[in-house]
Amino acid sequence: MNNILLLLFFEYFKIGLFTYGGGYASLPFLFHLSEYYKWFSYDELTQLIAISGITPGPVGLNMATFSGFKTMGITGALVASLAFILPMLLITVQVFKALDKFKENKYVKSVLYILRPTSCALILSVGLKLFYNSILTDLTFKNIDYLALFVVLILFLMTFKCKRDPAIYIFSAGILGIIVKNLF
Amino acid sequence: MEINLKNIFIAFLKISTILLGGGYVIIPIAQSELVEKRNWVTKEEILDYYSIAQCLGGIIAVNMAILIGCKLKGTKGALTSVLGMSLPPFLIIVLIANLIEKIVQIPNIDSFFWGVNLAVVILIYLAVKEVFLYALKDILSVFWFVLILVLACLKVNPVVLILSSLAFGLILARFKKEVKDE
Repeated sequence: MNNILLLLFFEYFKIGLFTYGGGYASLPFLFHLSEYYKWFSYDELTQLIAISGITPGPVGLNMATFSGFKTMGITGALVASLAFILPMLLITVQVFKALDKFKENKYVKSVLYILRPTSCALILSVGLKLFYNSILTDLTFKNIDYLALFVVLILFLMTFKCKRDPAIYIFSAGILGIIVKNLF
Repeated sequence: MEINLKNIFIAFLKISTILLGGGYVIIPIAQSELVEKRNWVTKEEILDYYSIAQCLGGIIAVNMAILIGCKLKGTKGALTSVLGMSLPPFLIIVLIANLIEKIVQIPNIDSFFWGVNLAVVILIYLAVKEVFLYALKDILSVFWFVLILVLACLKVNPVVLILSSLAFGLILARFKKEVKDE
């Protein structure tokens, strides 16, 4: 039993350390765990992906908690989450201290100067892809999802009137989704 | 609002609870909760922390929580923000882990999340609008922005784009004395 916990800790520490590029990047590692240790099945992992998109919090944390829970209940969930976060805590705190100390350094300034447009472009590209996939669906403009376009337009009009509080948009959009899908 | 560990914990608990529909939503949520409501950091700092967070391994939202927690109250602040960030997903997943098949079958739940997914489009628009001018202030940064946007839309792996940006920033510093700041 203690051996499994140790193994769980070690495996999730590794995933936390080597995941690069957001929560979904940890999926290949999780599939490997499923295959190698049989801690949980492929089907459970697929359900997990579905549920991660609709539960609060970062996707990666949902995944660590869920797969830890499937392996060894609450204890497993705790150990997996802790082990998963630990490398980030160890590394990022040190990075912050170093950056804070060298914030006037020309290399640090220059890297940040280039990373800012990169971040904007990457985030915008996600928005564009989402817009394309859920509304345009293809480049012919013949298969536009008008229901989705309608919801996005209403949300867009709300931005002129409402505060910029994301919670308002998230929940209005959910309610709109239910109304629109039931009416049409 | 006063910066203390309790308030940091509550702020990140709230951020994590609203964080639906993917990690990028952390930017508009952090802008709203930490810049506008609490005035703890600036919207420019949020973009900088996001930029740094995506270069480090692990989860972007968690790294961002650590960076902001560190800025507010050092290592203790980082531990507090991470705890606040982890608690909602932990509790919810533990509660529903055995009910997932039933939850997916709740009537209207797919319509609800279909809508939430569309909200992400607007949230990204709001987030980018807010930091656009800060990120793009000369020809070079505009050029780099367009280049990365085109490559990202052509499905080049974001990891490659981030690492190339890091390298380009370092090369730039080597050949240029000073880059514009603020």
